[in-house]
Amino acid sequence: MLRIALAGNPNSGKTCIFNSLTGQRQHIGNYPGVTVEKKSGRIPYGDTIIEIVDLPGTYSLSAYSLEEIVSRDFVLHEKPDVIIDVMDSTNLERHLYLLLQFQELGVPVIGALNMSDEAREKGIEIDVEQLQRILGIPLVKTVGNRGIGSRELLETAMRLIHHEIPSGTRHLNYGPELEEAHYGIIQSLRRDPEFAQRYSLHWTAIKLLEKDGDAIRKIESEHAHPDDVLETATKIRSGIEKHFGEDSEIVVGEQRYGYIRGALKETLKHAPKENYLDITEKIDRLVLNRYLGIPIFLLVMFAIYQFTFALGNPASESISAFFNWSASQLQATMPTGPLLDFLTDGIIKGVGGVLVFLPLVVFLFLGLSFLEDTGYMARAAFVMDKFFHIFGLHGRSFIPFMVSTGCAVPGVMSARVLANPKDRIVTIMVAPFMMCGAKTPVIAMLAAAFFPQNAAVVFWSIWLLGWVSAFVTALIFRSAIFKGEQTPFVMELPPYRVPTLRGIFQHVWEKSWEYVKKAGTVILAASVIIWFALSFPRPKTAQNDEIDTQRIETEYTVSSADGAARTIENSIGGRLGHAIEPVLQWAGFDWKIGVSLVAGVAAKEVIISTLGILYGIEESPAGPSAPESDLMVGDYLKRDPHYSPLMGLALMIFVILYVPCIATLAMVRKELGSWKWPLFQAVYTLSLALFLAILVFQIGSLLGLGV
Amino acid sequence: MTPKPTHLLSQLDSGQRFTVVKIRSNGEIRRRLLDIGFIKGETGLVLREALLKDPIELKIKGTKVSLRRSEAKMIEVEIVH
Repeated sequence: MLRIALAGNPNSGKTCIFNSLTGQRQHIGNYPGVTVEKKSGRIPYGDTIIEIVDLPGTYSLSAYSLEEIVSRDFVLHEKPDVIIDVMDSTNLERHLYLLLQFQELGVPVIGALNMSDEAREKGIEIDVEQLQRILGIPLVKTVGNRGIGSRELLETAMRLIHHEIPSGTRHLNYGPELEEAHYGIIQSLRRDPEFAQRYSLHWTAIKLLEKDGDAIRKIESEHAHPDDVLETATKIRSGIEKHFGEDSEIVVGEQRYGYIRGALKETLKHAPKENYLDITEKIDRLVLNRYLGIPIFLLVMFAIYQFTFALGNPASESISAFFNWSASQLQATMPTGPLLDFLTDGIIKGVGGVLVFLPLVVFLFLGLSFLEDTGYMARAAFVMDKFFHIFGLHGRSFIPFMVSTGCAVPGVMSARVLANPKDRIVTIMVAPFMMCGAKTPVIAMLAAAFFPQNAAVVFWSIWLLGWVSAFVTALIFRSAIFKGEQTPFVMELPPYRVPTLRGIFQHVWEKSWEYVKKAGTVILAASVIIWFALSFPRPKTAQNDEIDTQRIETEYTVSSADGAARTIENSIGGRLGHAIEPVLQWAGFDWKIGVSLVAGVAAKEVIISTLGILYGIEESPAGPSAPESDLMVGDYLKRDPHYSPLMGLALMIFVILYVPCIATLAMVRKELGSWKWPLFQAVYTLSLALFLAILVFQIGSLLGLGV
Repeated sequence: MTPKPTHLLSQLDSGQRFTVVKIRSNGEIRRRLLDIGFIKGETGLVLREALLKDPIELKIKGTKVSLRRSEAKMIEVEIVH
């Protein structure tokens, strides 16, 4: 089997090339040990198989980001047969910079001159023959989104592998001073023949000239004479620095760009066509306008939000209706008992709980992919950055925040728009504070029950509390847990492009499938566990009652509602509710609320239906969260002599802040790759919720407000 | 000949052209700036700034790039008239 690595800058159209090379045969996984996504595809070629591995899109191969280290380690350790570097032909100067760094790694490289049609339109003429002679790298013109040139890329790769054309591992041409320095370091590296076998000495020497942290670590741990090598490198570096009056890392970078400029001077003609309009600048004048930028951005986000929930909610409701219907079919055909309960409340509700979010995930990612592929996402970060930066976040954090006000599950997934791991973790940790679609009916019900005069204001205040808590905790996390230098904001604002349908649909498909596959299993398991905790052990008396009297004398519905309340009270969950009552009573909550809150971890809207069961309210046929039954629950709560508006307020504060639902926690685990994050999140959200609820209740009681 | 006066990129107004003189920083930020094209002698154009004058957008090496003002402070430039 042959292996080709596909590389390129983030905006080079690499994904299009990857798709046209591999077709449908793609596999998505992670690079070993890290959460950087790895896509690969296998295709038959003649009588061999070629595996194509998509490297992360990067601008450079420094040691500062995970993506860059993953890319170079893949090339160094896995030694692919060929690297294809995809470049934007309309901006070769920038894109050749990465190509040269791949060439330095010592593996044969091919350059794909992508978007060659766009370059022609812009009046850019490239002398391909001459350029490949200068670089010593074969070049192929491609148009990724139309599949042009893919065949030729593969053919060129095969000819390189079979040595029909010279491989482009020619050594660097960054000026005589650097070359001499480079040679000196190679000499000292050679003293360990085993190391020389494992790594490209050529590459290691350049990286040592650049003071690359990762390369230095490799020398320290793997070279036989680390001190000698590092000492030689330091000596040579200071010679370079004296000669150029600059830091050696800068010198290497400048020489690389200098070399590119020289090569392009001879081979590239840019005759801008008379009336070529820079559409990107025209759009940016409006979209990035100082005063209009933020309103436009909010409008775009609102449109996406509307699109997602207007189309997603009906679909979610249909899915939920389907599962309710399945459950009722089962109830009609099967005898009552624990098995039926397990199937309907455990399995069907569990699976339903996973699939109910699916339409939201699909539509949301449809919208977000569109923003990303057109190039607008970088603009969104630009207009929002200042505000978010105050709280130690990145402009792009707005997306997951906004999405979480609909549902935190896709919200957590959408945090992938953040390239920096710290930004991403902090954003994921705080985004679930937002009032999501499931918390909304709970808060609305409580606000209407306890504050009938000011329900809207109270509701809005709780909504705001979610946002404020998210920002404040983000700031605290950023200054306490994730301290240290903030990563640079430096980023490219790519030209606007019309996205391809295929690209968008593929992205949406990947995200949706990922959601179903990975989160599905965890959410299902968790739902079953929570169902079990609320159903077992069964109360003895309830069963006796059923058999002895109620079956005969009263209507079945009443007895089942009554029995259900008793089942919950006697269950593990119910006992837990009683057990935590001593703590919760500081916030004014009794065991019934305790049980509902425990059940609410499965899904927040369950809080209402659990309270409903505990108050013996029969579920209305339309389902547990139908408005009428919500109002009934509210009514019962209001009439309960133990409850006061103050307790209602404390409860709302608690509900908006406490532990994210199981689906969210499962997604956090999936996205951050370890259970420690959702656990940490559960603990601190619970602590914060408890603290604030108790604080409000105690102060309120002291002042005699709302009791 | 006396050297031309230098400024920090953060001090420039929208619409001003500049030539990069030096990056006054090190570590990751310097590397990122270097990689994205802030090398000695490169010319660029400040395009615009966001609402609170931060971040700023500029054009360098044929692409649009955005920087926070704090990052632009690390770049020493000459103004091109």
